[in-house]
Amino acid sequence: MPAARRAALSWLEREQVFKWLPFVPVQALLVFLLLPFVLLVYLSLVSWRITRGVWWHAPFVGAANFAGAVQDERFVWAVIRTFGFAAAAVPLELGLGFGLALLCRERFRGRRFYTTLFLLPMMIVPAVVGYDLSMLLIDQGPLNQILSLLAGRPVTVRWISDYRMAKAAIVGADVWQWTSLVFLIVLSGFAGLPPDPIRAARAMGASRWQIFRYVELPLLKPVLAIALVLRSMEALKIFDYPVLLTEGGPGNSTETIAVYLWRVGWDFTRVSDAAAMSLILMVVVVMYTVIAIHILRRERRQLAEEAAR
Amino acid sequence: MAGIRLAGLTKAFGASRAVDGVSLDIPDGEFVVLVGPSGCGKTTTLNMIAGLEAPTAGDVYIGGERVTDREPRDRQLGMVFQSLALFPHMSVFDNIAFPLRIRKTPPAEVRARVEAVAETVRVAPLLGKRPATLSGGEAQRVALARTIVMRPRAFLMDEPLSSLDARLRVEMRTELKRLHATLRATFLYVTHDQAEAMTMADRIVVMQYGVVQQVGPPLAIYADPVNHFVAGFFGVPPMNFVAGAFAADAGRLAFRAAGVTIVLDRPAEAVTAHDAVLGVRPEHVRLRDGTGGWTATVSLLEPLGDETIVFLDYGGATSIVATVDPDEKIAVGDRRRFMFDQDKLLFFDGTTGERILR
Amino acid sequence: MKRRWLVAFVRHAILLAWTAVTLIPVYWMLNTSFKHSGEWVTWPPHWFPEQPTLENYAQVLTPGSTIFELGRQTLKVLKPLWDSLFTATASALVAVALGSALAYSWARFGTGGKNYPYSVLTIRMLPPIVIAVPFLVYYVSLHLLDTYAGLILVYIATSLPYVIWMMLAFIEDVPSELESAARVMGASRFRVLSSVVLPLTVSGLVATFLFVFILNWSELLLALTLTNTQVSTIPITLNKFQSVNEGRDYGPQAAIGAIATLPVVALGFLIQKHLVKGFSFGLLRK
Repeated sequence: MPAARRAALSWLEREQVFKWLPFVPVQALLVFLLLPFVLLVYLSLVSWRITRGVWWHAPFVGAANFAGAVQDERFVWAVIRTFGFAAAAVPLELGLGFGLALLCRERFRGRRFYTTLFLLPMMIVPAVVGYDLSMLLIDQGPLNQILSLLAGRPVTVRWISDYRMAKAAIVGADVWQWTSLVFLIVLSGFAGLPPDPIRAARAMGASRWQIFRYVELPLLKPVLAIALVLRSMEALKIFDYPVLLTEGGPGNSTETIAVYLWRVGWDFTRVSDAAAMSLILMVVVVMYTVIAIHILRRERRQLAEEAAR
Repeated sequence: MAGIRLAGLTKAFGASRAVDGVSLDIPDGEFVVLVGPSGCGKTTTLNMIAGLEAPTAGDVYIGGERVTDREPRDRQLGMVFQSLALFPHMSVFDNIAFPLRIRKTPPAEVRARVEAVAETVRVAPLLGKRPATLSGGEAQRVALARTIVMRPRAFLMDEPLSSLDARLRVEMRTELKRLHATLRATFLYVTHDQAEAMTMADRIVVMQYGVVQQVGPPLAIYADPVNHFVAGFFGVPPMNFVAGAFAADAGRLAFRAAGVTIVLDRPAEAVTAHDAVLGVRPEHVRLRDGTGGWTATVSLLEPLGDETIVFLDYGGATSIVATVDPDEKIAVGDRRRFMFDQDKLLFFDGTTGERILR
Repeated sequence: MKRRWLVAFVRHAILLAWTAVTLIPVYWMLNTSFKHSGEWVTWPPHWFPEQPTLENYAQVLTPGSTIFELGRQTLKVLKPLWDSLFTATASALVAVALGSALAYSWARFGTGGKNYPYSVLTIRMLPPIVIAVPFLVYYVSLHLLDTYAGLILVYIATSLPYVIWMMLAFIEDVPSELESAARVMGASRFRVLSSVVLPLTVSGLVATFLFVFILNWSELLLALTLTNTQVSTIPITLNKFQSVNEGRDYGPQAAIGAIATLPVVALGFLIQKHLVKGFSFGLLRK
């Protein structure tokens, strides 16, 4: 039936139809995945454990789960700890990544070698990174050996069993893996700097430092913003490293939000408590997301205006 | 081959109207240039004719058929774009063959037609190349070939020469005109360059703010503009404008402005508008020795070789520009007298800009 | 002259130090993966295997399934490798197809409104643990728990934001006049996509595909939540190994790490240039 097929095709061709074609499956998928959020709210209002009957028979308890979550010291500490990890790791990643990119921005012998090699960590499976570091950090491991060599005397840092050092190890794992991403982003930011304003500044007699401070740095702002938004978002999700490196320990000293929620939901099977905590976490993240998206939109708009000029 | 007719074509974006009620009749075989400053709606008009944008109101007819609701591919028009829009991932041959292959033309015929067209626009040696390796002029010809090969009912061109350097642009103008003569097809050409419009068009359509200001042959528009905008748009250097007002002078009409008073050969009642603008083209400003006219100081000279442009400070807000013979003995700082050719003076309403006293 | 030498010296000293930091962990994994069990933990640690062996690789790559016995286990990764390969490939394919079509529609027609790509981005910003809890219950009811389809559906959704943003950067690079030209010359909208847009964004599509593939290949938390025994990806397997086996089978684990990492690193270097676009959210100057 070529006529019918032609008619169908020309209907699909109409702009009002055509432009919505990809939206149908995507929105369907999103709706399909949105239902669990309704479920999340429901679960947070009842008292249910995986081991206790079917969920739709669970008794309604109102805000009790939320009250419990806020009073759960372990949860509160996991939140504080996660933000602490992010606050320690993200500035380090930004600083190191920016510094390394600064050293690699101009041409010199060996530049290709360094820039290629520095990208390696971000391509490694995070679970593998966590596991790999667990080998390096054992008490009689290569890291302590290197430190002993550097110090000239035996050094035995208990990286995994000391609660302070374990925290440092988690931050270290994040920094090791994700400095590479910041490096990549900033390096391409440098590559995209428009040459004319810098030449103009040089012609006006600006020093190298002045050019950097007053011309290049402001031009790099969007790129730095993206690195900051991306990294702080991801740092709040830390899960793989504690699970594989320290298993949240010693004690609960490296238990992040994700790890604790995982334990509450799966190991302790307190699904309703986990749901309430998830909702609290979601509110925090949504607030953060609104800020992040605002930054993104502002920078994109500014770039578009620049391009239009 | 077909003519194009637009009836009340309108395109609104929100509250603003990019194109506002454009009606136009282009007979088969005519070379029409749509000209105006950027943002005047000329490209939107062209896109609506091609079917790339849907009009808010109004209709497009091609060869007498209403095509307003048809997809671009069903309109059989040839279009050359500002960026030329050659497909970078295809060879020149494949670029020219593209419209034929879309229509499932047999390969042998594709080859024959592509080669024939390549011959006419002199791109035959380039067929194996990629667009990125072509010079500006070559790319231009390929874009034309790709349009000609599909034997469109009419040609639409959207500033196709703007990417070329000045000399090549002048050459291509001549070539396009020659092409039009050979093909005898309808050409609708959009540009912001008044020189392109003047040199190529059978008829010019001047647009501003989405509205057609004037339609006519180039020389008629140049000599007899309907308003201040059209008058100022054509001509290099542009027309001189002197703001002033009408007054009665012993029963006759007089135009008074700072430093200049012109008594016209008309009764005082000929005009009611008080504020007015005098327009006079530089070639109608005469430098003279002796008496008569007004005095001015020569403030700037721009010798062009075939003529010299003279800026005269006469006491008004702006200088009067005149073109004079290159052999004229003149220097900056000279005090000279000047006059206008009385029969070439144009007057415009001071508020609406409309031509008065025609 | 002297100053320039000093600058070069300092530069290389710092960069070499970071090179060491970057390489040592990777090297240590490879090193351990070639060691016999007696050399896994020694003092001082061995920087080269004294008797290099492939037995760790041989062990994990033999067919069969992982056996957990008292205190010890024999790990087999052929099934997890296949599971990872299948879920990551299938989800990347679908996500790239849907996401790039969506990105195209948004870039050309503004479908879904000015903020659509930003709102899609929130999917990515949500910590996966938040959706993990309800998904468990949801998937149990739908019989999707521990199935390929269940994991792939979630991966498609979490990949979409990156696909959309990465492809936006490539699609915005295609001049829309090319598409108009093709349409005026008689091409249908679908023909425009296949003859003009697709060939011009093919490198972007490949890069995006590989990128999303790596993302899903590496994912741990959702896989841990939504799958268990029937489906078991590489990261989960590694995790199971780590938590079950207190004795720590360093050698086989290192071999799994190497197997999981090397192909991805190879792919990553292939798309290195395009990787930035994916992370740039259209904020890079050209």
